Amino acid sequence: MEEDDRALSPEEMLRLIDRQDSAAVRRFVPDTSLLYLPWGLAWLVGFGALFLHHGLSGRPYAPISIDVALAVLFGAMLLAGAVNAFVLWRTGNQVRGASQQRGMMYGLAWPTGFLTMSMIADRFAAQLPEAERNLLWASMSIMLVSVLYMAGAAVWHDWPMFAVGIWMAVLNAVGTAAGAGWHALLIAVGGGGGFIVAGLVFSRRVRR
Amino acid sequence: MTPELDPVIHAQARLRVVVTLNALPEGDQIAFPGLKDLLGMTAGNLSVHLGKLEEAGYVEIVKTHRGRTPATYVALTRRGRLAFEEYTAAIRTLLDTTSAPPSGA
Repeated sequence: MEEDDRALSPEEMLRLIDRQDSAAVRRFVPDTSLLYLPWGLAWLVGFGALFLHHGLSGRPYAPISIDVALAVLFGAMLLAGAVNAFVLWRTGNQVRGASQQRGMMYGLAWPTGFLTMSMIADRFAAQLPEAERNLLWASMSIMLVSVLYMAGAAVWHDWPMFAVGIWMAVLNAVGTAAGAGWHALLIAVGGGGGFIVAGLVFSRRVRR
Repeated sequence: MTPELDPVIHAQARLRVVVTLNALPEGDQIAFPGLKDLLGMTAGNLSVHLGKLEEAGYVEIVKTHRGRTPATYVALTRRGRLAFEEYTAAIRTLLDTTSAPPSGA
């Protein structure tokens, strides 16, 4: 303890403050790149598979059945979700208070949104041909994601996150108007690629 | 003129505690074990420093239960945040005056 209590020079104290502050922030604030990159890869691979299945003119570009394409997409998203859950758990598990409540409400908005969306989509999807059915599911899902990103940005006062939400919403609307193949292509490249770019640009290194 | 450095904060270990708690968003508390791991201190050592900080009114210590096991949570008080702000300002002033070119003295 005597060692700990030895007073340092002002320069050393300032350096100590900086070092300890970065260590604390690393622990209390999730690294954006760890949240974005897994989704970027999942969408790139998953919607990429869906794109190859649909093709742009109604003819598949690769012999990938819809079941395989969806399995790839959901598998990749499950992995990304698991990485996110771990990262967020690590930041929050020792902390309680206002952030915890914000995080919990926001966290619950996701499964609630997707569960109720699925019930709605399920009812209408049955009436549609295959490509339209997939597009209905995909476009409603991305719409939900984009809105939750914008809302999350408002909760954490995070402008880059808001920009990501807007970008997804626009891509989704344009892609849906153009059809299933285009939608999958835009979401794979623009959405998945967008997440990857956002993850690299807004990573902790750059922000702090 | 040299600004006074708050003696409660002006000690390596306690400064690190205060910096860490200051990084926590206002309205949040951190569990004692989490703080201990983050600082790499022993529980006894951390307790002593927290006691001194609590005495000064800089830190709030909440003892509660998580299920059946007792849990302790720690947060910086408003006064503690202010004291840390003043401390960093004082350090910077000190640095500016010592690093400034000697003016005729």
